[in-house]
Amino acid sequence: MKRFVIFSVLFVLGVLAAPLLILAAKVGQPAPDFTGTASNNQTYHLADYHGKFVVLEWHNNGCPYTQKHYMSGNMQKLQKQWTAQGVVWFTIISSAPGKQGYMDANGENNYISKMGAAPTAALLDPTGTIGHSYDAKTTPQMIVINPQGVIVYDGAIDNRPTEDVRDIPGATNYVNLALGQALAGKPIETAATRPYGCSVKYKGTWF
Amino acid sequence: MVFKPMRNPNLGLCFSPLFMLVLILLPTARASAASIPHGTVDLVAENQWIAPGRQTYFGLNFHLEKVWHIYWVNPGDSGQPPRVVWHLPKGLSAGEIEWPAPRRLGTSTIVDFGYDDAVMLLVPVRASSTLPANQAAQLGAEISVLVCREICIPGKAQLSLTLPINSMPPEVDARSSELFTAARKSLPRRAPRDWEFNVSDQKDSFVLTAKLARKTTQATFFPLEESQVDNSAPQKVVPVATGFQLTLRKSDQLLKPIKRLKGVLELSWDQAYVIDAEVGDALLAR
Repeated sequence: MKRFVIFSVLFVLGVLAAPLLILAAKVGQPAPDFTGTASNNQTYHLADYHGKFVVLEWHNNGCPYTQKHYMSGNMQKLQKQWTAQGVVWFTIISSAPGKQGYMDANGENNYISKMGAAPTAALLDPTGTIGHSYDAKTTPQMIVINPQGVIVYDGAIDNRPTEDVRDIPGATNYVNLALGQALAGKPIETAATRPYGCSVKYKGTWF
Repeated sequence: MVFKPMRNPNLGLCFSPLFMLVLILLPTARASAASIPHGTVDLVAENQWIAPGRQTYFGLNFHLEKVWHIYWVNPGDSGQPPRVVWHLPKGLSAGEIEWPAPRRLGTSTIVDFGYDDAVMLLVPVRASSTLPANQAAQLGAEISVLVCREICIPGKAQLSLTLPINSMPPEVDARSSELFTAARKSLPRRAPRDWEFNVSDQKDSFVLTAKLARKTTQATFFPLEESQVDNSAPQKVVPVATGFQLTLRKSDQLLKPIKRLKGVLELSWDQAYVIDAEVGDALLAR
């Protein structure tokens, strides 16, 4: 009986743990589906964007690396450039309440208008559900999903892992590279890089 | 590392006799500490003077408030290592930073490599044999550093230190010798010659087999290159009579096979070693 109980417990733990392992997102694999509430109060379902390229951008406006790309206007430029070509762009905020970068809908809407940001939507992910399903580690971290729903780029925004605005000119922007090559029907040369920046301020972490 | 020519002509060789007098009267082993976010950094010289044709070590000596940390050369999942731009007089050139073994910092999903409390990074500075003696050299170091707790704050510091140039063999400065002894102890060493390391590629992980002629229960690997090993994955150690086997999960960003695995291995007796092992095929290794 005792042994049965132990086995049952192990089995239940196994079942609970299994989805976490399967869900780990990786280049070349299907992008985990999600439903997110945006700061504009609309609900966005990733599966609805099948047939389009989708960019996911992890965001924390208190992070110096995020600030590098917003204060310089670099991120806004990318958002405008690619959404104009039919790419869907989700800014995702996975900071938990009380943590750096956490935003409520009003706060984020104000930030978007103040900064002249132009994502398709800013998804509020205070529970970290979307962030964890993609194993997002840093802000900014960039993911590109192709029209078939497969992750084709995951990593850093560019090849200069600093918080210094002066490093933006001359940097190789991996999002531009990936989208440019994918839209031209070419294979993506650099499909995975180490994302750089601040750690995502998930719920329950002190780090 | 970036080497820049001197910008300020006042930094450099100072000939004024009055200046030389001031120099003799001033302690020269270290510049006063500059503040960085939640800590300080100062530039420390190991020797009392710089000798032409020889190498002298300098230390970038960081002190941090409790729970704040800075990063190793491979910062791990987030963060950024400190950078230094040297402003040196002609005839002096700085080498690469020598990094003490780091610690794993973080949680179950995000793991960084770095230092908390205090750390001294060592930098060798080579003096050309044509460097004129009986003068003073002013060394400038421009430090950029990211200091993090839960949040990160970038900081900058300007450090400078003046040392005499003397053709006699350099003598250690007693005021800083303890610091340098401690810093050298924390540097990863070359592994003894009779140790063997093998790495096999096992689909989702690398298995590092170490033969050290002693059973080893604890080992932590710090990858030197980013995007090879999953930083946050637990590293499974299986002790065997002659050493251990360490299973390292591959990074999701690793899309191609690698030829070598380089890094630092910290063992249970608190000593770290430099590892540079060829990655062999799993089937051949058997």
